[in-house]
Amino acid sequence: MNEKSILRLFILIFWTFFWGLSVTDKIIPDVQFLWVGKDFFALFIKFFGSLGLKDPLFATFALAGVSGLEALNFALYLTATLSFFKASDTVTDKWFFRAILSSMVLFSLFSIADQVFGDRFQLLEHGLFWLILLASWITFKNVSIPQGEPYTWQATPATKRAILAGTALTIITAWSVWDFSDDTFANVDRPVMGTEVVEGIYKFDFPFLADKVVWEHTVNAFKAEHPDLSIDYIYTGPSELNSKKKTHLLLYIFTQPRASSLGAS
Amino acid sequence: MDTPHSSNSVIPHQLVRYAILMFWSIFWLFNLLDKVIGGAHFLWVGRDRFAQFQKYFASTGLDSPHIANAALAVAGALEAFAFVFFAGALIFEIQKSRETARRWCFIGTLLTLATFTFFSLGDHWFGDRFELLEHTLFWFISLASYLVFTHLNETDQGEAGEAWPRRQVTTAAVVSTVLVIATSTAIFQHNTTDFQLRSAPVTAEEVGENIYKVAFPFLGGSTVFERSLAQFKENHPRKTIQHIYTVPKPLRLKKADALIFYIMTEDQP
Repeated sequence: MNEKSILRLFILIFWTFFWGLSVTDKIIPDVQFLWVGKDFFALFIKFFGSLGLKDPLFATFALAGVSGLEALNFALYLTATLSFFKASDTVTDKWFFRAILSSMVLFSLFSIADQVFGDRFQLLEHGLFWLILLASWITFKNVSIPQGEPYTWQATPATKRAILAGTALTIITAWSVWDFSDDTFANVDRPVMGTEVVEGIYKFDFPFLADKVVWEHTVNAFKAEHPDLSIDYIYTGPSELNSKKKTHLLLYIFTQPRASSLGAS
Repeated sequence: MDTPHSSNSVIPHQLVRYAILMFWSIFWLFNLLDKVIGGAHFLWVGRDRFAQFQKYFASTGLDSPHIANAALAVAGALEAFAFVFFAGALIFEIQKSRETARRWCFIGTLLTLATFTFFSLGDHWFGDRFELLEHTLFWFISLASYLVFTHLNETDQGEAGEAWPRRQVTTAAVVSTVLVIATSTAIFQHNTTDFQLRSAPVTAEEVGENIYKVAFPFLGGSTVFERSLAQFKENHPRKTIQHIYTVPKPLRLKKADALIFYIMTEDQP
């Protein structure tokens, strides 16, 4: 395989998987074991609801239409990929062109819907995908790189050194990842210790691994540690209080002495 | 009068080829460093990829940290080899072995494409559409940069041997210097007057019965929040805080308002 063919294959693989997984996401509803995906049904229901079309049939039909087009896209990309291995470049080009055209039509429809529903971020997202599809086609068709001779791996001293360096870096990275995981994995359910920042107000700096389980353990641990205090209020620090990317979540617990402890004192 | 020069002599193609190889070498080097360092430290924040991967896999029911570690190690391996090949290509380019540089850049690009394809599979699986867009964009940028790299090889017109027009250079230098002085002065003045807002407490303004408004400066963070609460309690010893209401973003004046919250109080018995 020459360099041009290798690049064309990478482009085909990317888009085939892209549409294959998009279709899979529509087939598997909601969140399941081993699959999260995105709940497009909920998204479509909300979009159509915002137009005043509350009947779920509208969203269901629209989603079925979109899924059908995605399935068509996937079939076209898969055919182009199979043609790549079995047929001539011209046949592959034809199937890839059909696939690209069909995908661009779908993103154009999405963009129209984004404008109707007023979702400008999705409009940007779909516009960018549309552009990448167009650019992928131009690249696929007119890629101007050396071809002719099949690409052969040359085991020169330099490539041997590169493989050695790459392997060493991989081992260092993998060791570091496992070491960091061992050090921090306990944060997945360990309660966070609070610090009293103002009289009666405690601050909790949650680690990135923390989720709802940590929240529950934290509140329970706090109550066990401070039996003389009652929790008045819990304030979740908005993102503006975070130090950019360093802080995950800040939580403040507002307390006051329990009436019983006041009486005792 | 200065005469315009042909367009192909203004930007030497060689510099753009260096820039492409430099960008991807640094890009992958820092991605790798981020994984090796792990967590936030003095002079390095990076991103906690372990937490991100662990949460992704846990959301599918795969709680074991080893699965997240293995996925990170695979990503790390792809990134390590991509870095090595781009760095190697840069070295060969500097040594003027252009064909070898192109071949190494090709392998680096294939590894980059494979990495972003791998990530985009994960994005579909975990339902993260924003990351899918990000990785698709990077996938395409990698492909496009390789094509530009090879195109420059074919169309190279040689180094820009001709001198730049002196008058234009002088004008650009003077304008740039004036702008740099003006900008720097404004920035340093802003620093002198406003940096104290990074930690100074904000005084709460009473806007209704037992309702106080606190409008944060853009520099404000958790320290300002805590000091503002301490000051509020000190100034209002007979009040107890019942609730804090954070004004949601749609109610703020676009980008002109920073964080605003209201303190709801009641009189102590």
